[in-house]
Amino acid sequence: MKHTLRQVFRSGKFLFGFSIFVSLVLIVLIYPLLVPDDPLRILGQGTFFPPGIYVNTYDSINTSTKYTLNLPNADVRRLESKLSQEDRLAMREWLIAAGIAESEIDIENTSSLLALWNSNYDPKKSIPGMTNARRNYFIRLNNSLKGLTMAGDLVVASKNAESGGLEDLGVVKDTDYVNISEVANVRLLLLGTDNFGRDMLTELVTATRVSLQIGFVAGLIATLIGLTLGLLAGYVGGIVDDIIMFFTNLFTVIPSFVLLILISYSLGQEQRGAFTVATVIGFTSWVWTTRAVRAQVVSLRNRDHVNLSKLSGHSIAHIIIHDILPYIASYVVMALILQISSGILAEAGLSILGLGPKTTEVPTLGLIMRWAMIYQAHIQGNWWAYLPVLVTIALITFSMNLMNTGLDQVFNPALRD
Amino acid sequence: MRNKILTLLSLLAVFAMLLSACGTPTPAAPAEPEATQPPAQPQATEPPAQPAPTEAPALKPGDPLPRTETLYFNGLQWGPVVCWNPYSSNCNNAMALAAGDNARVTMFETPYLYNMLDGKQYPLLADGDYSWNAERTELTFKIKPAAKWSDGTPVTAEDVAYTWATHVKYNTGTGAGNKDYIEDIVALDPKTVVIKAKLDANGKAVNPLIVSAFVSSNYVVQKAWTQKLEQRTGGDAAKFLADTAEDVVFSGPYGPFYADETKVVLVRNDKYWGQDPSMWGKLPAPKYLAHAIFKDNAAGFAAFKAGEVDVSQQFNANIQDLWLKEGLPVSTYLPDPPYGIGASLPTAFYNLNSHGLNLVAVRKAIAMAVDYDTIVANAMANQSATFKQVPRSLMNPTPGEQALYDHDAVKDLQWAGKDYEAAKKLLDEAGVVDTDGDGWREYEGKKLSYVATCPNGWSDWQAAIEIVAAAGKEIGIEITTNYPEWSVYQTVVTKSDAPLPAGYDIFMMWSAGAGPTMPWGRIRNLLSSEWIGQPSNWSGNWGQYKNERVDELIKAIPNETNPDKLKEMYTELVKIYLTEVPSFTLMYRPQNFHAVNESVWTNFPHQDDGTNPPVPPLNLVDGWSIAGLYNLTLVK
Repeated sequence: MKHTLRQVFRSGKFLFGFSIFVSLVLIVLIYPLLVPDDPLRILGQGTFFPPGIYVNTYDSINTSTKYTLNLPNADVRRLESKLSQEDRLAMREWLIAAGIAESEIDIENTSSLLALWNSNYDPKKSIPGMTNARRNYFIRLNNSLKGLTMAGDLVVASKNAESGGLEDLGVVKDTDYVNISEVANVRLLLLGTDNFGRDMLTELVTATRVSLQIGFVAGLIATLIGLTLGLLAGYVGGIVDDIIMFFTNLFTVIPSFVLLILISYSLGQEQRGAFTVATVIGFTSWVWTTRAVRAQVVSLRNRDHVNLSKLSGHSIAHIIIHDILPYIASYVVMALILQISSGILAEAGLSILGLGPKTTEVPTLGLIMRWAMIYQAHIQGNWWAYLPVLVTIALITFSMNLMNTGLDQVFNPALRD
Repeated sequence: MRNKILTLLSLLAVFAMLLSACGTPTPAAPAEPEATQPPAQPQATEPPAQPAPTEAPALKPGDPLPRTETLYFNGLQWGPVVCWNPYSSNCNNAMALAAGDNARVTMFETPYLYNMLDGKQYPLLADGDYSWNAERTELTFKIKPAAKWSDGTPVTAEDVAYTWATHVKYNTGTGAGNKDYIEDIVALDPKTVVIKAKLDANGKAVNPLIVSAFVSSNYVVQKAWTQKLEQRTGGDAAKFLADTAEDVVFSGPYGPFYADETKVVLVRNDKYWGQDPSMWGKLPAPKYLAHAIFKDNAAGFAAFKAGEVDVSQQFNANIQDLWLKEGLPVSTYLPDPPYGIGASLPTAFYNLNSHGLNLVAVRKAIAMAVDYDTIVANAMANQSATFKQVPRSLMNPTPGEQALYDHDAVKDLQWAGKDYEAAKKLLDEAGVVDTDGDGWREYEGKKLSYVATCPNGWSDWQAAIEIVAAAGKEIGIEITTNYPEWSVYQTVVTKSDAPLPAGYDIFMMWSAGAGPTMPWGRIRNLLSSEWIGQPSNWSGNWGQYKNERVDELIKAIPNETNPDKLKEMYTELVKIYLTEVPSFTLMYRPQNFHAVNESVWTNFPHQDDGTNPPVPPLNLVDGWSIAGLYNLTLVK
């Protein structure tokens, strides 16, 4: 046993797959300890907030210490963010259309451009040939320029509850900075939010855990059924073999995913918890394990040590457990690994079709994909809503397949180096 | 080694293909106007010049359509067209047939056009306003002398009368739905129509409101063609309604060009009567109205984004990203949230027979705990006004309806949502508390546990229901969600002759949008007990609420003409609704979603576009919004 394990861990492929898998499992186990949030909690009011650090504006204005930094080019950067080259060209276009001579417009000179703009721009003015979308663009541009032309500092005021008047609380200068560690509310949303406004990262980690659980349950069920039937068919043979193989062949020709869809659909959504879905997946994917195990057992059945055991009067169960199972154990482990990874894929497939577990209870990788798709994240370029999920699914199945190949190389004499 | 290189190469190839497939489709460049195309008038205020008669060889069905003469739609037509029969309600022909409060008047026309923005009915086939007699039992209107069918014969009062008689004879939806209110429609002379209202025991019209709405929500069909159809089907009602009516005669500006599994195209009737100065004075700008049949919303959205669709009637989440982030020439009716005009009130109904939901306190507490701002921001992606902007009542956000009730009188009843403390207090006071310490409240010893539901795949509704369920957790009431398929859901919910089964404690349905009978019609649908007991109830009050005072008011309003009295009655209804909470509004939803891509066409209706009367954002095909088709110009 020790020797086998040492051999297994000497395989580079297995080791690589194993370390990816273990890191995923570790993340899944440790992350909830660090961020103990409810993964389904709706944080954001709005859909698909992009990844980043979110600093509370209210708190940053109210921090006790203010730092003054005189950074070079701060003004330029501020201006750039509000007034790009494209905006300047558009302003010129509008001004020319409004009848200003082109020679008067200098788009490089910001102050003269703004002055000209402010004195001429009229949102109500109808420019021939201009689309409504373009008109809206100019209104937005004009609004965003308002902050630029403001002279001096911003005054923070609060409303007096009694008189209704404004009371000055302080002044914000354009050289004021806060240290982010002193702001009471800062939230890192490493993967942004999803369509419900949930923290994607927390949701993804929980979903990975649930999907792994679904995979394990589905894989275990499929392998157990496959193993039992395969052993019986292969060892007992005769009519038992015929009956088992009849059903196995029957299920082989029906695509298991179609079967899965039909069963999930007929169960109805109220019945579909994560565990139920896992069980259904397990019960529809045992077929090829049975066939493979049977083939192996048939070749083992007439070995000398088995015959010896038979002559010694051991029971069928004893023979199967002691004389046959150890010889196919390595194969069974490999089959189990593949069943787990295909179980995870099957859940994702089902959920994308809307036949997966219920949404309110637990997140799964497939469910996140489904909602991202419904809210068209893939068309609107909100990559954080689906790409990390895809990568996670790929990593899980990749690591498992790698482990499987590694094991194969160790145990399959034909592939041994 | 060689194998590895090959694998690597094929991987690269696959990756490259994926990349190119993911690439942003470039918006179709507006094609050069063709020689036959009239010069487009750029001025928004001036009408576009009349298109010159087309000299190019006529297109055959199936030919590629000239982009600069075609207006493309999405979100209206799903699946192939079945028929063109204006009497049938199963034609699945959304480009041509959609009678109703804001009737689609591309091919068939109604006597009047309803304008949801000002609440008025404008004459189309009719000549001038209609008039009531002194007793309000007979409504009279004239037919425009210019009005003609596509075969050149004039539209007459006899056509209007015969259409009604046919609806009654074959018991169509229109006939069945109106015969309790309309006694008869007769032609006084070839151009004068009289609608006689059904009278009650006191000799007053049963419902004058429905009679006056009839003239803008039902098509006029040609008598001669109807008779031809009757002859062909031998008086068999089933055959009559199932006829595909390929030969149908119509009066509207567009007629069928072709329809197959991928596309429906209407072509302009260049002899359309409406170019007479007594109506539009010109032809609508696009020669073709085309609707590709998309697989789903995502496919339709991709086409809209690429500029292959001009007018989109789809719920496109985060539509603003198209202009804010991608700089596309896309716009909506309003430039800022809610982007459109809310008209209907998607509503969560309570099953009043569920354990605990017979208590007003429980109903109100759940409604008060729901986070509506999140529903608006997340489920509707801000395409709904918030309840801070438009406090809840029974009215939609249009100014006309908002003016119909006394805002100050119900101010204290209008909850804003996410008020967990007030909700808990309400429950505590009603004695609905957690007695066994499991964190969930009990009533009469039984835990309050509900299932909130809506049809599967209705994404914005599902997201809203998720948020309703989340509110339950905050106030100690267990709410789980469930999404049956629509086919199951609709049969269960519309069966009002028996109590609703388990699993339908809180469920979502729509309410009526904008129309000439509103808000009365909407209130009747939401609250009237007349729907209880119907085996197939598509009207409303699916939670089976009964209140005699409400029924009285609903009965009295149609005959009331005094505006002050009306306001009083509406205010009382709002008061009862917000006190008893038999159901509650979750969001405001536009009558139609309406977003336009100005890659090819421009001058679509938008707020303050200077049109008078204002053109509503109903995709330029419904009710008065068809006026928008006459203002379109090509982008230069």
